[in-house]
Amino acid sequence: MIDERYFKPIPLISSLSSTTQGMIAERGFLRELQAGETLVIEGMPAEYAYFLVSGSVRVIRMRRDGRMQVLARFGPGAPLNIISLLNQKKVNRASIETLTTTALLVLSASDFDYLLSHAPDFSKALLGIFAERIATITDLAAGLSLYSVRARLAKFLIELADKPDAASGWTQDEIAAHIGTVRDVVGRLLREFEAEGLIKRSRQQISLIDREGLFNQIEHEDR
Amino acid sequence: MTKTDQPIINYDRCDLCGKCVAACPVNALHMTADGPVFNQPLTCTYCTICEDICPQGAIRAPLTVRWAS
Repeated sequence: MIDERYFKPIPLISSLSSTTQGMIAERGFLRELQAGETLVIEGMPAEYAYFLVSGSVRVIRMRRDGRMQVLARFGPGAPLNIISLLNQKKVNRASIETLTTTALLVLSASDFDYLLSHAPDFSKALLGIFAERIATITDLAAGLSLYSVRARLAKFLIELADKPDAASGWTQDEIAAHIGTVRDVVGRLLREFEAEGLIKRSRQQISLIDREGLFNQIEHEDR
Repeated sequence: MTKTDQPIINYDRCDLCGKCVAACPVNALHMTADGPVFNQPLTCTYCTICEDICPQGAIRAPLTVRWAS
């Protein structure tokens, strides 16, 4: 039986009725992993749904040339592996690896199905998550068509710097995945931004120096 | 300089290919039987080439973005 205090960091679950939370507490279990451990392996049967209580993970796929591609990064509250479970093939669509020490609430595929059938508020909350993810993909698609990679990177750096709790631990691969490009382009643009005096790089730190100059990268394309 | 000032190596992912060691422009990495280690951590410039070249995604060079004070 899971202590319901673990539900607090997971808005999808903490917003549910006490009856549904009781079902989850009864059926779910907690799992803790260290940084760098693999939670889900691409291509293997999808057996569990995960909800991130604490820590962060990255979603990755191996490309045909054998190189790894980062698809996304998630923090506390995120549901994971849901689409794989809902897909008829029930196969993990990507691998998930922990970036930090991570605690997860876990539901088996059968318990996940049970909740979908017996807890309408659970199903509705999941639909809300899907709506958010579709909106994110739509925004990304709009960004891809409306803004250059340069503008998207400037926008993302500003967003990160404005949210100190989310601004740490990003690799160039992860930034590239988030703005819809590849690492090489992110690396080149960061060098250009630095040469233009917009940012300063110092080992792990990217300091944004010229606020107006960075906003100009975006506004220039809004005109 | 602290231990975390160097890129982070995930030895579970590393397949000992040695590409990171060969690519490091300042020879900060050295290959051991267990995988690459930063034997010259002070010379590491955090250029992130090791992260880029690793085919297994075993090396992460995380960044923090902030406004300059």
